[in-house]
Amino acid sequence: MKISYNWLKWYIPNAPEGNILADVITYHVAEVESVQHSVLNNEEDWIFDIKILPNRAHDLLSHQGVARELASLLNINFVDPTPKYKIPDSKPTKLIKRIEAPKCRRYMGRIVRNIKIGLSPEWVVKHLESIGQRSINNIVDATNIVTFDCGQPAHVFDLSKVKDLKLQVRNAKNGEKIKILGGVEKTLDDTMMIIADDYGNGLDIAGVKGGEYAELTEATTNIILECANFDPVSIRKTAQRLNIITDAKKRFENDLSPELASYGMLELSALISDMCPEAEFEDVIDVYPKKQEERKLSFSVSRISEILGLDVSASEVEGILKRYNIEYKQSDSKFEITMPSMRLDLVIEEDMAEEIGRILGYDKVKPTIPKIDFKPKVNETYTKISWARNKLLSEGYSEVMTYTFFNKGEVEVEMSASDKKFLRTNLTDGLKESLKLNELNAPLLGFDRIKIFEIGTVFTNKGEKMRVAYNEGSKIIEKNLNEFRK
Amino acid sequence: MIKENKKGTEHPLSLLANQAYQAFSELGFEIATGPELESDWYNFYVLNFPKDHPALDMQDTFWIKTALPDTFLNGDGGLPGYPEKKDSGRAVLRTHTTTVTARAIEQAGKDGRFPCAFISIGKVFRNEATDITHEMQFFQIDGAMVGENITLADLKGVLTHFYKKMLGGDVEVEFRPSFFPFTEPSLEVFAKFKGKWLEMMGSGMLHPNVLRNCGLDPKKVQGFAFGGGLDRIAMIKWGIPDIRLFYQGDLRLNQFENEN
Repeated sequence: MKISYNWLKWYIPNAPEGNILADVITYHVAEVESVQHSVLNNEEDWIFDIKILPNRAHDLLSHQGVARELASLLNINFVDPTPKYKIPDSKPTKLIKRIEAPKCRRYMGRIVRNIKIGLSPEWVVKHLESIGQRSINNIVDATNIVTFDCGQPAHVFDLSKVKDLKLQVRNAKNGEKIKILGGVEKTLDDTMMIIADDYGNGLDIAGVKGGEYAELTEATTNIILECANFDPVSIRKTAQRLNIITDAKKRFENDLSPELASYGMLELSALISDMCPEAEFEDVIDVYPKKQEERKLSFSVSRISEILGLDVSASEVEGILKRYNIEYKQSDSKFEITMPSMRLDLVIEEDMAEEIGRILGYDKVKPTIPKIDFKPKVNETYTKISWARNKLLSEGYSEVMTYTFFNKGEVEVEMSASDKKFLRTNLTDGLKESLKLNELNAPLLGFDRIKIFEIGTVFTNKGEKMRVAYNEGSKIIEKNLNEFRK
Repeated sequence: MIKENKKGTEHPLSLLANQAYQAFSELGFEIATGPELESDWYNFYVLNFPKDHPALDMQDTFWIKTALPDTFLNGDGGLPGYPEKKDSGRAVLRTHTTTVTARAIEQAGKDGRFPCAFISIGKVFRNEATDITHEMQFFQIDGAMVGENITLADLKGVLTHFYKKMLGGDVEVEFRPSFFPFTEPSLEVFAKFKGKWLEMMGSGMLHPNVLRNCGLDPKKVQGFAFGGGLDRIAMIKWGIPDIRLFYQGDLRLNQFENEN
């Protein structure tokens, strides 16, 4: 994910310079694939392209997430933006939202009236463009800022399209159709979730892609803000089947914390209030049937040390927990921690070994060569292959390797764009080609005649076999490895 | 000048594989082998890949379309015994030789051979677009050491030894945070060769779920595992510009010699 240094600085004003920060991220968090130094309108920025690891995708695919991580890692101040989020007193609402699909874990909505679609403030455009996004209009930009800032996907519908102010998340009907943003029609089935009004109008393929029906227009004045949370497997399967890849889909399939939705709603409301000072806010509707459970995790410092091969002290662990704002109870070298809702990746003691190892830095672990009492056995397959190879080499044969995939065979592979969908049933076909090629090059290779062999696997409907093949003149001899050895 | 055929020339990947086996044998590793056509159990689920999880996308897989007879999956063919705990029971071309590592430590558990250490080098397959650094088939080197008190420090020692043996004594080796479903902690191994840091392989401490899936007790044993491309080492070491050159059957590639 692209992360802007200037954006990060909103939250960690004391961050070290960009190139130093890139190293901190590389050695303690995740690979920085590139660092781009940019100067836009006399303003410098560094853009980090960070390959956020799959186990942190639920909390680090966002500027606040990365800033929070770096603040804890470097023990520098994190500026909490929430006190600055000012929203006018909200009014009672008639909006009704229902969850009819068990795979929707939280569904939040809020009506905002009297907004004006227009251009975004300069900082919004700058933030979005710095990470390669395009400004569309103030309201759409606000949803995108929320996503890239805190990690929660957000969506806005045109209120005038929602009949009776009633919305539901439900499983789609088999064959139900929806036109998605961009105009393509998709046919759904009952494993997929849709957001719809009570009259069958689909607004959104839940968690995957918005629909055209309630898309904002320049004339839109009243809107519904939406932040939700869905089961990751359901989103992944839906997106796969419909062949839709969106930023929201990627985020949901990495299992976001449902707790994040309320934060997203707060930030989105504040941004819209800032952009449209005349806007009137109604109360937030929050359907959240099963609150995310508070988890506890116990681990011992001695176990962490045993895994890492590094003497970690209880005070080092305490220091880390404090910096990461993790509540803990300690007795001697044992800790019981209460997991912050966003840290879904920390589940077992070994996860804490990784957490402590990467925070301290793996360079702290000194390499050792283990002396183990183990008597290796001779591997028969390897011995036979070595024997065959050495025999052929000593007889003047040179070794080649050819492709396992072939245009005909008995075992077919699921493969899209290739004419070689089968596994080879023999080595002979490949070796013939190799022989032709090498005969052309014989003078260049300094051989008067070409003698080649291949040892490799072939696949028939009877199974996988290790074969040996070599040429005698233009004739190819192919045998099973066991047979060759006789 | 035409010379009479004396000794034939070796494929660079065979040369390198033997050199790698040598480096690990010095540290007491046993060579392990296993089938290329695998069950999804050994390729994924034994290794703690959850079903329907983005982690599965990390390794674009060739699934086998042909319905293979049960007898094939039960060991009459290349597959030595499909486990009872089989999952969906689909066959794949292995995407890594960690399959061999899993089979080896499972067997070591049954035979009570602890501590133990295994190394395997073999062909693996990935369903991805080919270019100068990507090929549908390539060789992977994979291994593990399991015992009562095998640590991350041992992992660092063993892999540092290995890359110095392969790329020269002055090579620097570094370990950075990573993620794999089958290891916790997970680390990416980097080597500095000719002034440049290069990503070499994935590694880490075996995840307790993997140990359990292999029939071992994570309260009694722990260990490390690692895996990465052999082709990549050959390309770096000998300046071979295109991974696809390895599988053309072209003898012009056989121009390298083992310095050890």
